[in-house]
Amino acid sequence: MPVVITGLGVVSSIGTGAAEFRAALLQGRCGCALREFPRLAGNSVHAPAYVSVAAEPHGLIEPRKLRRMFRIVRMAAVCARQALQMAGIDPSTVPPHRIGIVFGTAFGALEVTQKFIDSWIDNGQRHASPLNFMNSVHGILASQIALDIHATGLNLTISQRDISFEAALAHGAAALEAGQVDVCLVGGADELTPLLHEVAARSLYASLDAADAAGLDPLARRGTTVPGDGAAVFVLQRQGRALAHLAGVRLGRHDHGGPDLARELLQNEAAAGVDLVTNNRDGHLRSARVHQRREAVVGPGVSHRGNFGTWPTAGALQFAANALMLAHGEYYAPLAAGKPQPMRTAPRAILHDAASSSGVHAAYVLTANEQ
Amino acid sequence: MTASHPSRAVAITGLGVISAVGRGVASMDAALAAGRDGLGPLSLWDTDLAGEFPVGQYRGDLDADLAEVGLAPTRRSLARMSRSDKLALVACAEACAHAGLSPAALNRLGAGAFVGQSVCGTLASEAQYQRARAGHTSRRGMGAMFTHEGANTQDQLARHFHLGGPTLGFMTACSSGANAIGLAAARVAAGQCEVMLAGGADSLSRIAVYGFHSLQVVSPEGPRPFDANRKGMSVGEGAGFVVLEALAHARQRGATPLALLTGYGHSCDAHHLTAPHPQGAGAIAAMRGALAMAGLEPRDIGYINAHGTATLDNDRTEALAIASVFAQAPVPVSSVKRFFGHTLAAAGAIEAVVCARALQTETLPQNLGLQTPLPEAALDLVRSPRHAPGLRHVLSNSFGFGGNNAALLFSATEAAWNPS
Repeated sequence: MPVVITGLGVVSSIGTGAAEFRAALLQGRCGCALREFPRLAGNSVHAPAYVSVAAEPHGLIEPRKLRRMFRIVRMAAVCARQALQMAGIDPSTVPPHRIGIVFGTAFGALEVTQKFIDSWIDNGQRHASPLNFMNSVHGILASQIALDIHATGLNLTISQRDISFEAALAHGAAALEAGQVDVCLVGGADELTPLLHEVAARSLYASLDAADAAGLDPLARRGTTVPGDGAAVFVLQRQGRALAHLAGVRLGRHDHGGPDLARELLQNEAAAGVDLVTNNRDGHLRSARVHQRREAVVGPGVSHRGNFGTWPTAGALQFAANALMLAHGEYYAPLAAGKPQPMRTAPRAILHDAASSSGVHAAYVLTANEQ
Repeated sequence: MTASHPSRAVAITGLGVISAVGRGVASMDAALAAGRDGLGPLSLWDTDLAGEFPVGQYRGDLDADLAEVGLAPTRRSLARMSRSDKLALVACAEACAHAGLSPAALNRLGAGAFVGQSVCGTLASEAQYQRARAGHTSRRGMGAMFTHEGANTQDQLARHFHLGGPTLGFMTACSSGANAIGLAAARVAAGQCEVMLAGGADSLSRIAVYGFHSLQVVSPEGPRPFDANRKGMSVGEGAGFVVLEALAHARQRGATPLALLTGYGHSCDAHHLTAPHPQGAGAIAAMRGALAMAGLEPRDIGYINAHGTATLDNDRTEALAIASVFAQAPVPVSSVKRFFGHTLAAAGAIEAVVCARALQTETLPQNLGLQTPLPEAALDLVRSPRHAPGLRHVLSNSFGFGGNNAALLFSATEAAWNPS
């Protein structure tokens, strides 16, 4: 049974909404900038990062609901409403139990989790904040979206490092194929908090080099990279005015000799004609090592993380870029350290190969409408 | 919400559990039979609250347990493991040994692991955060905060059991373990693999203990599920794992099917972040979904393992939901939360092990802590271990924050080809 993408919403460092995001990719805009990050010791540092612009609700979400949403939830909820709007779906006209929500997030609601811990450190163990506790669970993104649009169907949150979004995509598509839901919102979101940046910098992952404000180079092999944050949500349906078709998605691991997921996909007739490979390469040495091996199998790939940054669920933004390239017959030349890579012809079918040094692996194929 | 009908029968061929009542299925069986709970004072860290309410803490030596189950991690790898990781590894090792599946066999079969999680490695990361706030921000210490991620557990499982299939963490709060099992079974049923490891794991942590205390749902006397005078829950920790296997594959290799997973239903209340729907609408949908997937009627069910946290809201709405679905066919009900405490994401998985054992032994576990049944619904609450000859089908409920509801339906092994 086919699965199509009929709407998408994006909150990123290069724009909010599909139109802004697409324009930024077409123009080769880079979302990286020097940002100030407070440190636990009381000082602060300036470091390069791709921090998402404010997720403005623009009348999408009622103010009374917004008051209960922390930053990452607001990002996800705004994306969900944008995606539904693009798909032309008023959720109140769909039976609530036929709407599913599947979200991927590696770190969940970090900001509010930290606030909750602060509440008992600062006020004592008997005075921890119940509001912050109930908002700190990983499933808060999917739950808050369900509350916003009153969706009582499948509601899942999946966390598995760099393939958290792709795992959500696979389970959302499977629910549609199995007829469990008619509309499935699939998304990915993570937030870059000052604490996460401090941990990433102390672990020699996040760059503190001001020169990197030009943007990360996905093709580099360095000891650090430039982190970011953002969210994207997609409306999946079995039929509708499609931006692109999901021809297949696979999940697994590449570290224990399992089947090669990308090869499995490419043997599928629906995935014929792949003419572009994208991946999650982010310029870090560990990422480069993994993708050197993967590219020997699937061919050279491109990554748009130089445009919008890197974080575990940045694959959701790559999925948005891929869907938009196919929907509009365009190719977005990815950035490497702020410089555009060579232009190519617009793709008709895209294989995305997501792999990380932790061993997790996911692959999907998206095709253009007339494929 | 009804999950799709499975195309292949899915058997449980291995069980593993660790909880406040001890390590292993035998320890759990003994505690359930004796009516002995594992609740006691919190001793994992110093807290002013330790003496005010009991918790379901595992009292054994997890490092020694890892060695005893044959995993024998190095000091270096131990340093990278959270308490949740260790609980998961110990329970998973028992389940795999029970199923007769070595890491080499699991690798050959392309097995993966779906794990329900909520607290994950926060016991270590929250402690490091406190140290960091006090000025201790060494590189090694700050790096330890990455154990916050639940993915550590799946990576540890993959490393120790040589898993080449997908390893994913499902985070739907206290229904996580049940959802992980239901979704892993769907993968086996759809023919995507022959074997999946599935379960849930959570350790005690300050976030969980102070958090539930802040919501004023922790009982000073321990949980008394479905009691009219219940005062709340006890936070617990543990892990439960099952080996899910295509029934035909299990038979082919001579493994013993312990029970079948025949139904899975899930729903979302979309009502409130923590409070359940007042009439139990989501719980009703999940139970009906599981029944529909199994092709069964309420009268076919011989036992319900309730979520039964002993909070005022949960037990009232769950009782109403059960009474609604089973209005024409009252069925024995019990909650085992008094034995283990509420083990959060592990609860649905530990209770899957309880249900599989109930089918095997034809014995229903008691609703420990019950004195006066709640007045809102007349349930057949199991007051002492009850022999149930011919028990065929049992239902297990799990509900979580965000209105996440899941119900699993387990059947005796002969039920697959001779449905009642």
